[in-house]
Amino acid sequence: MRPYAAVIRDSFHAALTSRVLWIAFVAIWLLLAALSPIGYREDFTTRFRGNDFNNGTRMKAMLAQGLADPEQEGSATANLANAMPEELRQQLRRVAEGDDVLIQVRVLASALNDMLDEESWYDAEAWKSTLRFKELRELDELADEELDESTRRRRARLRIEAALPGVFVTRSARSVLLTYAGMDFPADLAIDKTQFGSLINQFVFPLIIDWLLGFILLFLGILVTSSIIPDMLQPGSLHLLLSKPISRTLLLLSKFLGGCAFVLLCVTQLVIGLYLVAGLRLDVWNLRLLWCIPVSVFLFSVFFSVSVLAGLRWRSPILAIGVTTIFGTICFITGILGELSDGFIRNPDEIRGVAIAGKNVFASTEGGGLKRFNEEDNAWLAIFKSNAINADRVLNPIPLGDDMVATAVVRAGRFNPFGAGPPDLLVLSEAYDWESEPSLRLPTATSRLFLGGDSVLSMNTSDLATASVQNVLQVAGETEPEEESKTEEADEGWLSKLNNMMGGATSGFSPVLPPRMAISKPRDVAFDPAGKWIIAISSGRLTRLEPSTENPSQRWTLRAERLLEGEVSKQATIAVSGNQVLVARSESPLMIFDAISFEPVGEPLDLSDSLIPDEAQPLGNGGRFALLTSDGRCRIIEPKGESATYEVSQTLSQKEIEALYFHATNNELLIAHHIDQIDFLDANDFSVKRTIRPSLAEWRLIDKYVLTPLRIIVPQTGELGEPISALISGKSAIVVNAPNGEDRVIRYNIARPLLSCTIFLLVMMAVGCTYFATRDF
Amino acid sequence: MTSSNAAESTEAIIDVRGLKKRYSGSWFNRRTVDALRGVSLTASGGEVFGLLGPNGAGKTTLIKILLGVVKPSSGTAFVFGEPVGTSAARRRVGYLPESLRVDRHHTARSALRYYGRLSGMSPRQIAKRSDELLDLVGLAGRDRESVKRFSKGMYQRLGLAQALIHDPDLLVLDEPTDGLDPLGRNEVRKVIERLRDDGKTIFLNSHILQEVEVICTRVAILSKGEICGSGSIEELSSGSVNGRVTLDVMVDEETMNGEAAPAKFVKWLGLADSVDLEVTAIAGDGRSHRVSAMLDSQAKIDAAVDRLRQAGVSIISLEAQRETLEDTFMKLVSGSEAAN
Repeated sequence: MRPYAAVIRDSFHAALTSRVLWIAFVAIWLLLAALSPIGYREDFTTRFRGNDFNNGTRMKAMLAQGLADPEQEGSATANLANAMPEELRQQLRRVAEGDDVLIQVRVLASALNDMLDEESWYDAEAWKSTLRFKELRELDELADEELDESTRRRRARLRIEAALPGVFVTRSARSVLLTYAGMDFPADLAIDKTQFGSLINQFVFPLIIDWLLGFILLFLGILVTSSIIPDMLQPGSLHLLLSKPISRTLLLLSKFLGGCAFVLLCVTQLVIGLYLVAGLRLDVWNLRLLWCIPVSVFLFSVFFSVSVLAGLRWRSPILAIGVTTIFGTICFITGILGELSDGFIRNPDEIRGVAIAGKNVFASTEGGGLKRFNEEDNAWLAIFKSNAINADRVLNPIPLGDDMVATAVVRAGRFNPFGAGPPDLLVLSEAYDWESEPSLRLPTATSRLFLGGDSVLSMNTSDLATASVQNVLQVAGETEPEEESKTEEADEGWLSKLNNMMGGATSGFSPVLPPRMAISKPRDVAFDPAGKWIIAISSGRLTRLEPSTENPSQRWTLRAERLLEGEVSKQATIAVSGNQVLVARSESPLMIFDAISFEPVGEPLDLSDSLIPDEAQPLGNGGRFALLTSDGRCRIIEPKGESATYEVSQTLSQKEIEALYFHATNNELLIAHHIDQIDFLDANDFSVKRTIRPSLAEWRLIDKYVLTPLRIIVPQTGELGEPISALISGKSAIVVNAPNGEDRVIRYNIARPLLSCTIFLLVMMAVGCTYFATRDF
Repeated sequence: MTSSNAAESTEAIIDVRGLKKRYSGSWFNRRTVDALRGVSLTASGGEVFGLLGPNGAGKTTLIKILLGVVKPSSGTAFVFGEPVGTSAARRRVGYLPESLRVDRHHTARSALRYYGRLSGMSPRQIAKRSDELLDLVGLAGRDRESVKRFSKGMYQRLGLAQALIHDPDLLVLDEPTDGLDPLGRNEVRKVIERLRDDGKTIFLNSHILQEVEVICTRVAILSKGEICGSGSIEELSSGSVNGRVTLDVMVDEETMNGEAAPAKFVKWLGLADSVDLEVTAIAGDGRSHRVSAMLDSQAKIDAAVDRLRQAGVSIISLEAQRETLEDTFMKLVSGSEAAN
């Protein structure tokens, strides 16, 4: 291999003598020099910012109630409301009077920030009735003299958060403040050190790599290397090379590898420089960043393979650049077509939730639709149409019997958790040909529905509320009302309005959470199948709530609580099977707890840090679970033999899974995958009992037979940013705050861009080598 | 015969039989070109074999085939008994292209290192050999200079050095002195002569016929893709004496016996008539003459000399004019072109 190593080495030698390379080097050094003064410092999270508010409307309503409701007098909320500036208080009073008053979140944030420094509003007695977390309890025990300015402000913030439950997003105790050359950046980040590392790894680095390496250096590399092959084909050079005892194919491959030298040298400097700047200045030591070097060179090699083939064919650097540019444009256009296909054809049909009522299969979709599978036509029939630009949001359906399901349409709720107001619970029954019948009014911003025993549970931005199935059906006109269970007329008074604004229970739904308790993201709720209790996880806190046996409309009682170890802001999902509850949190081992005592059962189960738990489902009552993870696969967690030890027993073969659903009646696990296909698995042995493979509509056919093959044939270089993000972050997905207010696990598309680029590269090199090896020169 | 010729062996280093090469047209231009139309030749070990021919005769195609750069359409070609194009064949061949192109980032030494590695040599072998060759081609003091500063002559000498770096048994030199000034041409020629003296087999493609005449032991003349003449310079010239003999003679009056000089010389030289005879007095004494006549064989020359001597004519000098390689080349090429 000595001759070929010589060719590669010679290419590096040539690259190092290139003026363009040295200009690129200087540009990289200047960039790194400009980045190197960046630093950070940590402090307590004190100031309120706009994005700290999970529910500004609720806050407005709570403060208004604090001002107007005599029963609230002396309460923590009232104290805060009274400490607001006069102008704001007047606006809040108008809110309490039922006026539609627009109060911007930043105005509320500013008022709260002013209150951090002046705590005359605090009354220890009033705050005793608030739900104070451990950090606040500890700070409250300290005397004022023991606290420094920063800690005191932190305590003030925690007191405000305790007084306004369900209003704020869970934030870490400490925030990172970026500095540049010792000066603070104008805006501090409301994230902790770990999140800061994630931000750098999942957003900042990929952005820099995408732009600097994926665009600028790529273009520069093509410009510089376009002459390599035409130069080699000059008679005085080529005939001499070909007269040597070397293989033409390997000669071309060596030249190809050598051509990557330019980009390799630049990328290596930039990436190592960024690694050192991030490590030395920001304490973000991420060796995975070095993956950017091979990936960037790989990306360049895809384009360079086109340049090589054009150079071989036409022996002209200008034509090589021209053809490569045209190729890049084709890739770009194909990428745009792909994005449009995803956005307008595939995503709207993608299943988000599944429910079975008797023999009928229902699915809610990403496009705000609800559909029912029609076996005769082998097609999904739309009950509410899915649409890419649909502004409405449909809640995942829940079965209310063999011939009925319930759901809700949140008008204008697809990009706003609150939508156009509180939605009605809709009942769809076979008897009415699946026409929706409005039932009880749901709390504002309801995002999920649960069924447990004979109760329907609704979850919104911070609250849980419940109603009996019987009541739901009665209001929908599905059953005759019983004398004693007549629904009360809705109280249309000002308090009711404020209650609605706060997302509190409505006339038909009873509040579940104990006073001053809220569930905030990351969160999940699981119902005991018999409806006897619910378990909720909220900001790293596991709680079990039970209803009052005497008065079902009374708030439920907190029966058990456990603070989980680890970062509270990480994505979490839970499921209850029998007396076991599975807790799956991002970057933490899987834990099984006893549902009653919250004592751990068995040892924690390792789940790769690269995987983010998306959805957990129980598999009956035997302590078995199915877990959907961010790689689109389903893992089965069950007891190991007869022992109390649990294990991840298997990963099911289905890929690109979107939703799970356990159908207890048939003991089946339904797996929705590949947009709108469903597999029905036996929950014991996971054999496929039935499948739904719907016939495709026109655009889906075009997508399947035209666009998808096109996206394989034309390398999706633009999508390589996703594998880069995955490699740098070590995650297969990212959790984002969706416009509808819920956390959403977005899976990185790793396989397709890598596959399409690799296939393309291999084909181009095979064509190039064959051409070079067989042609007379 | 030089000392090196002693090393000459009869083994065919290059053996070409019925070689044909047809270049197909492109999509847009379907015209085909027959570059070689059944070329056969052999070059033995230790020979300096010259390949001659006008532009477009197929010389470069033949060399490309020998180097494995171009594949023949039909026929066979072997180098050292190996089919051309194989690594085994190319390993023993050194090649100097017509216009060598060395990447501008190289120095003479780094270029030799690069080409040495391409020939599969170890760094130690390259270092040792580089010193020898840089000395041989006269680049010893300028081996660390960038080739950007090299003159055409230095490039050619570097080209020779790279062709020799792996000590090949066969050197293929394509127009080695093309574009060089007389001084540079002389330098390169001296190097080739040294290599010839060292017993290397050299396959030389050149336009400069005088150079070929001086250096080559055998030549082949290629025209229109066919060999129209091959052999040693002597073989190509022998039998091709052009027949004109020039004699400077001295004849006294008695011998002339009052007859006119042309009539006397027609008789002495055994000519039929005086058509091809020229007699001019070359001194004022009336005795010295320059006689030019057509005598198209050695036997006629011998007989004429005998008769002149018997008649008492003093022969001061005799010059029989033979064909030069250029004459032969022109004649063969013209004949080939006329035949085609």
